[in-house]
Amino acid sequence: MSTIDENQIRDRLERLSKIEPDREATERAVKRVRDTLAVDEGRQRRVGLAPPSWIGGLKPTLHFVKLAAAAVVLIAAGVVAGRFSAQPLDAEALRAVLESSLKSSLEPAIRQAVLTEADSRWQSAFKASCDQLKDELARQVRYDLTQLTAQTLAAAGTQTDQRLKELIQLIEAARIQDRRRIEEALDHIESQFGNGLVALATRTNELQRLEQN
Amino acid sequence: MSGQHDELLELLDKSGAELFALLTRLTLRQDVAEELMQELFIKLSHSRGPNKVTNWDAYARKAAVNLAFDWRRSRRRAEPRLEQVREQNPNGESPLGRLIRSEELQETLNAIERLNKSARQVVVLRYIQQKSYDDIAGELGKSSHHVRALCSRAMSRLRDILGCNHRQISQKEM
Repeated sequence: MSTIDENQIRDRLERLSKIEPDREATERAVKRVRDTLAVDEGRQRRVGLAPPSWIGGLKPTLHFVKLAAAAVVLIAAGVVAGRFSAQPLDAEALRAVLESSLKSSLEPAIRQAVLTEADSRWQSAFKASCDQLKDELARQVRYDLTQLTAQTLAAAGTQTDQRLKELIQLIEAARIQDRRRIEEALDHIESQFGNGLVALATRTNELQRLEQN
Repeated sequence: MSGQHDELLELLDKSGAELFALLTRLTLRQDVAEELMQELFIKLSHSRGPNKVTNWDAYARKAAVNLAFDWRRSRRRAEPRLEQVREQNPNGESPLGRLIRSEELQETLNAIERLNKSARQVVVLRYIQQKSYDDIAGELGKSSHHVRALCSRAMSRLRDILGCNHRQISQKEM
């Protein structure tokens, strides 16, 4: 029993179908591909006609087969020449000749083959690890951003608390000062009022005395 | 080799924008779509069987769908990032509404990813690329009737997958 009906799925798929990339992004992507294709074509022209892919896989094997065949032919030629020559067999000389001949013919080819093999292996390994590196980098950047956000939020929280504390202290100080001023004013009013009463009493006494006289 | 290069350039001119849009719809990220687009054409240019390909357009589209879903599979654990995709007609929707809609799209694409290859191709071509049954049939070398049946089965499977997801969410909420 599904809790989502076909219309909802169709609605979602329709929304997906309406997603359109920016025009600039599309142009950028097409240009990028065009540039890549141009570079690729130029490189292939420089290298020459590339063999079909199935041959690419066999390339190192064929190379070694050719080398082995060349070596066998060379050795066979040496043996035949030795058999047919009238002179007694000088095994040491033949070995030296064969050795130098094999060395001079095989060494550069083997070196080249090893280099090519190493290069292709390195390139494929690099390509494989490139995607992995990209993912690793993205993960690391996301982790760093999360950490930074958490730290910034914590620092902002502490600073806000500090500011609030300072504000409370300032308000408290202002209230104390206001209270002190009111107290002084009340003292002043009280003293003035007392003086006034004393003066009034004195005047009243004087007035009574004058009236009696 | 040069003939293949010309064919690829022709394909790029003719269907480059469409392929890029398809990759954007399936990845929901333009930057990734750009990368995949480049990868797609490199793969096409290195494919050594140009004589076997009769319809480059269909071949490229199929490869693009496979590339996009391969990418989704490799990024399954990564968080979705939809801010780079501009969905049309947002109608001043609230951020929460947008988030929910984006999640729904991700969920739908994840469900499509779980379909088998041919069902996935058919769903993408029919419902995301809005192609007719006849066009799809021509592209995949199947009959129109067969494509309809595939679509129907794929929708049913999508309902099952998405329904299962919803039930799981409801149970978690309870």
